Amino acid sequence: MATQVLVPPLGTNVDTVTLVNWYKAEGDAVAAGEPLFAVETDKATLDVEAPAAGVLRGVSAAAGEDVASLSTIAWITAEGEALPAEARTNTDAHGPTRTPTDARTPLLPFPPSPLPSLTPRASPWAQTLAAERGIDWTLLQGTGPQGAVVGRDVEAAALAGRRPAPTPLAARIAREQGIALAGVEGTGAAGRITREDVLRAADTGREASATRTGASGAGAGGATNDIVETFALTGVRGKIAERMMRGSHATAPVTLTAEVDATALVARRKALQAAGLKVSFNDLLVCILARALGEQPRMNAVFQGDRAEVRRSVDIALAVDTDRGLLAPVLRGAERMTLAQVAEGSAALISRARSGQAGPDELKGGTFTLTNLGMFGIDAFTPIINHPECAILGVGRIKPTPWVVGDCIGIRQALWLSLTFDHRLVDGGPAARFLQSVVRGIEAPGAEDEE
Amino acid sequence: MPEPLGADRLLALYRKMLLIRRFEERCNALFLQGRIPSTLHLYIGQEASATGVCAALRQDDFVLGTHRPHGHALAKDVSPRIIMAELMAKATGCCRGKGGSMHVGDVRQGVFPAVAIVGAGCPIAAGVGLSARMRGTDQVAVAFHGEGAANEGDWHEALNMAAIWKLPVIYVCENNLYGASTHFDKVFRVAHVADRAVAYGMPGVTVDGNDVEAVRDAAITAVARARAGEGPTLLETLTYRQCGHSRSDACDYRPDDEETEWKSRDPLTVTGARLLAEPHSLPQSALDEAEASVATEIDDAIAFADASPAPSPDELERYVYWEGD
Amino acid sequence: MAVMGIAEALREGIREEMRRDPTVFCIGEDIGVPGGWGGAFTVTLGLSEEFGPERIIDTPISESGFAGIAVGAAMTGMRPIADVQYGDFLFCMMDQLVNQAAKMTYMAGGAVKVPLVMRAPVGSTRRGAQHAQTLEVFFTHVPGLKVVAPSTAYDAKGLLKAAVRDDNPVLMFEHKLLYGSKGNRAEKGAVSPIGEVPDEDYIVPIGKGAIRRPGKDVTIVGKLLTVYRALGAADQLAEQGIDAEVIDPRTLVPLDKELILESVRKTHRFVVVEEDNRTHGWGAEIAAMVAEEAFWYLDAPPVRVSAPDIPPPFAPGLEELYVPSIDRVVAAVKGLF
Repeated sequence: MATQVLVPPLGTNVDTVTLVNWYKAEGDAVAAGEPLFAVETDKATLDVEAPAAGVLRGVSAAAGEDVASLSTIAWITAEGEALPAEARTNTDAHGPTRTPTDARTPLLPFPPSPLPSLTPRASPWAQTLAAERGIDWTLLQGTGPQGAVVGRDVEAAALAGRRPAPTPLAARIAREQGIALAGVEGTGAAGRITREDVLRAADTGREASATRTGASGAGAGGATNDIVETFALTGVRGKIAERMMRGSHATAPVTLTAEVDATALVARRKALQAAGLKVSFNDLLVCILARALGEQPRMNAVFQGDRAEVRRSVDIALAVDTDRGLLAPVLRGAERMTLAQVAEGSAALISRARSGQAGPDELKGGTFTLTNLGMFGIDAFTPIINHPECAILGVGRIKPTPWVVGDCIGIRQALWLSLTFDHRLVDGGPAARFLQSVVRGIEAPGAEDEE
Repeated sequence: MPEPLGADRLLALYRKMLLIRRFEERCNALFLQGRIPSTLHLYIGQEASATGVCAALRQDDFVLGTHRPHGHALAKDVSPRIIMAELMAKATGCCRGKGGSMHVGDVRQGVFPAVAIVGAGCPIAAGVGLSARMRGTDQVAVAFHGEGAANEGDWHEALNMAAIWKLPVIYVCENNLYGASTHFDKVFRVAHVADRAVAYGMPGVTVDGNDVEAVRDAAITAVARARAGEGPTLLETLTYRQCGHSRSDACDYRPDDEETEWKSRDPLTVTGARLLAEPHSLPQSALDEAEASVATEIDDAIAFADASPAPSPDELERYVYWEGD
Repeated sequence: MAVMGIAEALREGIREEMRRDPTVFCIGEDIGVPGGWGGAFTVTLGLSEEFGPERIIDTPISESGFAGIAVGAAMTGMRPIADVQYGDFLFCMMDQLVNQAAKMTYMAGGAVKVPLVMRAPVGSTRRGAQHAQTLEVFFTHVPGLKVVAPSTAYDAKGLLKAAVRDDNPVLMFEHKLLYGSKGNRAEKGAVSPIGEVPDEDYIVPIGKGAIRRPGKDVTIVGKLLTVYRALGAADQLAEQGIDAEVIDPRTLVPLDKELILESVRKTHRFVVVEEDNRTHGWGAEIAAMVAEEAFWYLDAPPVRVSAPDIPPPFAPGLEELYVPSIDRVVAAVKGLF
């Protein structure tokens, strides 16, 4: 019976040792217990004794080689006995004979911590980002663990709908050329759309439309309506949406219109400008409104829950078209201001609103709103009440109009006023008297700032 | 044998013991007045042990005290002012108010913060001794400890290593008969702690721990041996704690006659009588003067502590790590 | 620049410090016996030939005792480098480390310093419950101690030197599978942190962590062996499109918190991998720190991959389940996406 000569396991950490030398050669007779070979570990050189008596055979490791613990490096056989089959087949082997422990399938006894299954759910980081970007995360589709909204979802939403505003110049060019900014790639800081981006888009748009025309001319059937932009009603847009809905659904709106001769107003503005006072029509109108509201205080009322409060201070909200949408910064205490103060105050206010620097307090809390679409060539319209205010005055364009003056027809600078008021608070009579008061103010300007 | 002490030097040791005794008594009074905000382990009755040992030391030798450390520190000339300030939890205390009663010390006097874990100072003292030898000085280290420490593993490990490496350490076992409330006889089979020295191959000496001269003489021999590189000594001083283990201990477990007997051997009484007798023959006024000057010194220490501020809240997180010299 | 493993790097670090500063000495069991082992893991092999038994001090088997000796020597101008054969033995000297070394400076109101280094091998390597624990956290909880845990040869030498020069007690934990000595290298599960180590004097500052692999999708923090498990996981995750950042704090106390927090603020996901028992563990502290200080940056809960709350098992098959595997790290990370 042949006996294996094994490399002894020399320590819990030692898997290989160096075979230093053999004391016996292939074919030598060995006695049980006599030193057979020497091995070296980090700590020591040790002699290994022969495990049996007989003849050393099938030596498969040479001096100087690294050999694995418990590997078979030779056999001891009886005189004339044949080597076992495994020794003959395994000629070069001094590999480990023990079963490698890594053969087993690794288990995962500690699953990752379970996540709460609340919906909707957003990670802290998603909430942080959403707050920063003015995005309502509850409207987003989460792609995180168990459907949670995570940072990347908010970022995607921000990219899709809420990119940085284009530069004012780029916005103007886009308006002029009828280019949808949503389709324009911004190359400015943080993806801001610049003049160059718009011009580039205009060029490629022309090429593309030429191609598209060609394609449809080639007989393409059902034209698809591509989505150019998707955006959520969040942030400023969301605020506007909510206010407009309340203004049109939570009030009893009535719109009165009146055409008025503004020739004197135009002349007065010219004279003031010639005198060095930079003043807009709106500034003049604010002063006129302040006086008229003094005469009809109920038009200067604000809803608070189920009651209306008539306010002493005339706080005029000025509807301003900005890159971010409609804003209505409030000029407070107009009834106490001179025209110059109104001009100065409103110019600063509008500039802050346009540049996005107006504080939240400046954008709410008015008592009456003035909206002017004259610069867009609009004559008359039905403004929506800026809830919770009572009324809003819409001003159209000033244009030369044939006008009966005494017994003659003259050309006068006329404009339309559109007053929408909440009939719950004020009846038609007082509202009409208010509008008349405004008309008088426009027809005979100057009284408002004489004191 | 060391030279016998002359009257002046014996009077100085008497005064030192008196300082410790009166200091501890005043501490007790301050505790009862609520001016020391912690319990106290008083050294009353054991004054001859620390005083006698420290009389054999140089200023640059080292001492490790125990949870009962006021006497060790005073004996090694730590200022009563900064000890009192520490006990009264003041910023000027020897540990800046971080240590308290059980950790008083002053490294400038070679007295480390006292180690209040029983026995733990013994290996540290061996390390101090090893360091002295490695640095090439002839300083010695003294580890004061009670007999209770001799049943801690650290004690055995420390004595063995000090012995095998012949470290300059003196292990002073102040055997006051009680480990907290447990009597010596319940926890030792040997008659004297010093008997155990033989197990480590070092001299074991038992002396009357209430006789300051006897303690001093034994310490001088041990210190000389340590300085000469001949290794450590286990010096057992037999003494008695005349008060409770701590302030809350009424000592109901001790027989009255035992207390009476030890009080008759009060170290101050013993040495005081010796000073008045032949050959010293000092007048009673010499002892009275010592009493008066000690009172003045303690008054000064209390005044200093009273006038000192409490640690600032800014100090809360300081000195957890070394902040420099 | 020489290439070496951690054991050699430590040895060279000790040698250089002992040559530089005569107050530096080594103390421990079986560290300098002529013809002996040079400590349980050969770190001090050959040093007694250069420095003699006076500075490479072999002690009796008295862990608490020689720890106290190191404390006393450190308090009086020496800079001992003590070591235990197995970290588990630190429990024998707990009083000296926790009550004495850690508190001496504080109790003295800053008047005493204790510049000692205590080296300790840790980690599961088929030695069962009393020679294979991971116990850094017992000491990271103690004010007054500094704790370092090098996982590369470069760091081992640099941190050893920094520890020797530090004026506070520094515990240095070394992983038995990372020593890189020959036998260990061959062991299953061992990794080979062999690297270039400068010949010139350098230190790795205590308190500075390292980013072992930069990434942007998830932060994985490991120490000692689990740094390599984290790196292995990062390789697998990369194939699946997840770009993991692997951080090795190197120093556990004081922790380089900002390195970890900065990474989490970038990746929004956090996994800590530890060979420690899970409950009240080191990973729990790191995860709590992340939750407290980077909560609003997280896209998923901070997750621990730990050893279970059992002593290290002996049977190799069980031990493999005990030490966090690469697969477990991968699974934990994927659970965050």
